[in-house]
Amino acid sequence: MLLSVRDLTVRFRTHDGTVHAVNGVSFDLEEGETLGLVGESGSGKSVTNLAVMRLLPQPAGHIERGTVLFEELDLTNAPEASMRDLRGREIAMIFQDPMTSLNPVLTIEEQMVETIQAHRRVTAADARVRAIQLLGMVGIAEPASRLRNYPHQFSGGMRQRVMIAIALALEPKLLIADEPTTALDVTIQAQVLELLQRLTAERGTAVILITHDLGVVAGMTGRINVMYAGYIVEAATTPELFAKPRHPYTVGLLHSIPRLDAGSDEALIPIEGVPPDLRLAPVGCPFAPRCAWRTVQCWTENPALNPVEPGGSVRTTGPEATHRIACWNPPTADEATAGAPLRPGFEPAPPPAGSPQATGPYVLPVAPGNAEVRSEEGAESAMPGSHGFPESPGSGSGR
Amino acid sequence: MLRFIVRRILGAIPVLFGLSVILFLFLRLLPGDPAIAILGQHATPELVAQIHAALGLDKPMYVQYLNYMGQLLQGNFGSSFIDGRAVVDTFALRFPVTIELTIGALIFAVGLGIPLGRLAARHPNGWIDGLVTVLSLFGISIPIFVLGYTLVYIFGVELHWLPSFGPIDPRLNVQPVTHLPIIDAVLSGKPGNVVDAFAHLVLPAIALGSIPLAIVTRITRASVIDVSNEDYVRTARAKGLTNRRVDDRHIMRNAWLPVITVIGLQVGSLLAGAVLTETVFNWPGVGSWVVTSIQNHDYIVVQSLILIFATIFLVVNLVVDIGYAFLNPRIRYS
Amino acid sequence: MVIRAAPRASRGLWRDALSRLFRNGPAILGLIFIAIFVVGAVLAPIIAPYDPTVGTLALSRHGPNLTHLMGTDLLGRDEFSRVLYGARISLVVGVVAVAFGLVFGTAIGAIAGGMGGKVDTVLMRVTDVLLAVPGILLAIGIVAWLGQGQIQIMLAVGISYAPIFARLLRGSLLALREADFATAARAEGATPARILLRHLMPNALTPLIVQATLALATAIIDVAGLGFLGLGPGDPRAPEWGEMLTDSARFLQNAPYLILFPGAAIVVSAIGFNLLGDGLREAIDPRLKR
Repeated sequence: MLLSVRDLTVRFRTHDGTVHAVNGVSFDLEEGETLGLVGESGSGKSVTNLAVMRLLPQPAGHIERGTVLFEELDLTNAPEASMRDLRGREIAMIFQDPMTSLNPVLTIEEQMVETIQAHRRVTAADARVRAIQLLGMVGIAEPASRLRNYPHQFSGGMRQRVMIAIALALEPKLLIADEPTTALDVTIQAQVLELLQRLTAERGTAVILITHDLGVVAGMTGRINVMYAGYIVEAATTPELFAKPRHPYTVGLLHSIPRLDAGSDEALIPIEGVPPDLRLAPVGCPFAPRCAWRTVQCWTENPALNPVEPGGSVRTTGPEATHRIACWNPPTADEATAGAPLRPGFEPAPPPAGSPQATGPYVLPVAPGNAEVRSEEGAESAMPGSHGFPESPGSGSGR
Repeated sequence: MLRFIVRRILGAIPVLFGLSVILFLFLRLLPGDPAIAILGQHATPELVAQIHAALGLDKPMYVQYLNYMGQLLQGNFGSSFIDGRAVVDTFALRFPVTIELTIGALIFAVGLGIPLGRLAARHPNGWIDGLVTVLSLFGISIPIFVLGYTLVYIFGVELHWLPSFGPIDPRLNVQPVTHLPIIDAVLSGKPGNVVDAFAHLVLPAIALGSIPLAIVTRITRASVIDVSNEDYVRTARAKGLTNRRVDDRHIMRNAWLPVITVIGLQVGSLLAGAVLTETVFNWPGVGSWVVTSIQNHDYIVVQSLILIFATIFLVVNLVVDIGYAFLNPRIRYS
Repeated sequence: MVIRAAPRASRGLWRDALSRLFRNGPAILGLIFIAIFVVGAVLAPIIAPYDPTVGTLALSRHGPNLTHLMGTDLLGRDEFSRVLYGARISLVVGVVAVAFGLVFGTAIGAIAGGMGGKVDTVLMRVTDVLLAVPGILLAIGIVAWLGQGQIQIMLAVGISYAPIFARLLRGSLLALREADFATAARAEGATPARILLRHLMPNALTPLIVQATLALATAIIDVAGLGFLGLGPGDPRAPEWGEMLTDSARFLQNAPYLILFPGAAIVVSAIGFNLLGDGLREAIDPRLKR
């Protein structure tokens, strides 16, 4: 097992309170696997991976508990020198905005050579040769002369290719790609994703692909973990997730994206409500305020991630991975297809009196499109982004 | 890049032009007859007529202006009414003194300010940061002359550690060759003279440099903090680079760009502050000359000196801007 | 990266800013210093134990004691009273100078930023010329031209600040003109003047307020500087802090308190306005804790 994350919990200290960014996340990754981590902004998908690499912003962010085993080494308490050795060499990361992720005052050559020389004892000349090779590998024309250019002299797509080249320079075992195409034009996105897929497949690099775009993971990944409010709410193989989604959140998402194969009279069903305030300690299922299937238990107890079909062994990796969800009252197959509960007389349970959620915003979805919103502070309907996961304003492309 | 330089230089020319016009009018628009303003109590009809002739005050304005500009371009900045000497001559004697003071203050401000700013930025909101913030506050809140006298009192009067009058001990009889005290001391061949010259420079340099120090520290701190939060610093760490490398190559190389611009602006503060500092410490530089000229109604000198100061400031900022464009690849290769 | 947490309920832009300001320790300290300064200045005729212009030669240059809290100067005048009355001059001249600079500067900045184009270029050239003369030199030059006196100093210092305000306002206006809400207003058919007044100015004014507060600190220092150089109001009956320093400079060895107390007064007042200005800046535009 290449990477094994257990009960990872990350907190941020801000002057507004403690932000519960990641809550007890566990997942495994085999060598060569591609895992998709999807969720809206604030779901904890990026923070999880920054925690894996111990790159959380200091001093605000810290790992409260949990273990991250990378090839038997626990990264949560490894010495910083070991982490530095791993970063770039065994585990590499590429980020969302290639313009701001590359140092504007250094040439591409300097930025690539320093990566290589940080981990290998090679001369600058040899490193340069390798850099030219890498640039060619990612499809940049005239690599030798382009080495002397600065980041602003490249287009967005090409900058991201450079980032990929830097990331793969030392043949890492694991590549973490955090929203690699979000900041790029749609036409370029496909090229970059294809490049990423080809290069990692060639080298057997495991990939964690973080995105809010379901379309991106559909073609790229073998497995997908869906995250919400710092929890993993559904884990399945990619085909299984799209064909038979089981968690109400995933169901809601898939019904809120326009699909080419949908009938002309099929309505889009938005997920009402807003993402939760992460400053509050989680009580019960985080999705309860917006869930159409919720029961009383959902308000008070947080469901664990368990197989959809109980019994039998649980496989966490590979194309035979067990489909797991964290839900007390999962939709049936028909309900998943319909996008709403179909049980006669079923009403989503209101919060029990005295619970913290009783005063916060929550939604009583009655029928698709007719959601009644009841709240103290004024919740807004969440409009789906064009790709399925509602992004808060100001997040996403560029910063 | 070349276009940028040309555009920048061309942009500075109208400013100089406008400044010369204003200063030209400054003399001619003095309340009352400029000649009488200059002469004050010494006004006699003959002297008044002399000044009129010398300044060409009887001719039409535009002719006067052309003459004025013609003289300026030939390097003729007029003559002092008080001692009759050409402005440029006295300037050549006095300016090196001011240069020594200004450079000393600049070295103090930048040499201390940048490291302090970096230090404060390394532990934001820590106790060092707090201390640095307080020092910066004092730096910009204490006028040069108040700080000057305080320093003189502590180090001169009470402790007798450092001298407080003039740039060098006149009893040492150092020959004025370049008129820059430290260099003249070096040329005199006696190390004792050089030490003496440096000793005389310490207090005035600190007094003059206090405001630039505070500002350079602040901007360095802010710049380093801003850059540390940039994405490319995160990328650098993700590549496994050492903290030292991230600090020097990625943070500082970007952080000191705004600092350079600010330093250019601080040169103006130094030039203006020299007027006060030279008065407190009795340095025979251009600054104190401005003050005595105003007190003596020597307006021709005042007008010329302000023009020269402004020109120096403009040129320095021009050089800084070009330097900045050179150092910032986004401008250099655009 | 930006750590996003849900925002507190807002009770209006200004009330939020004010409540943030009052939670800011250094800003409160600044307000206290300013209060001392203003109260001293305003109540000088009531608080001052002696007439600041009348002295007893026999008491010349006595150190601080119970009858003369800050000592006496060369002419036997009570230093404490002189410092109090000096505060009046610094306050009045400083405030009027900054006010004048604000009026002049915002007028230029508003026209340049509001109209853009050639008008903007010409006006900015003019401010460039003024800014070419660094710092206090501009004020010195103007005082040399206009002569000495309180009003002349107010004008001189005010004119030397005007370009800074003009630049600041113009910059804000130019940036805001292109902002989305301005475009929306234009799309709704608002006239340029209306856009300027109702939409742009309120947003652009807040940095000006911060800058004006900080300018007050500089003004107190600059006015004292002019006085120190002998370019002050020059009224022998009205003590000005800078002039007091010049008069007493030669007694540094024997009577340092004559320099210490007016100097401290300048510093305390300047610190007050600097702290308040910084506090305002933080209150209006709070940043996430780094």
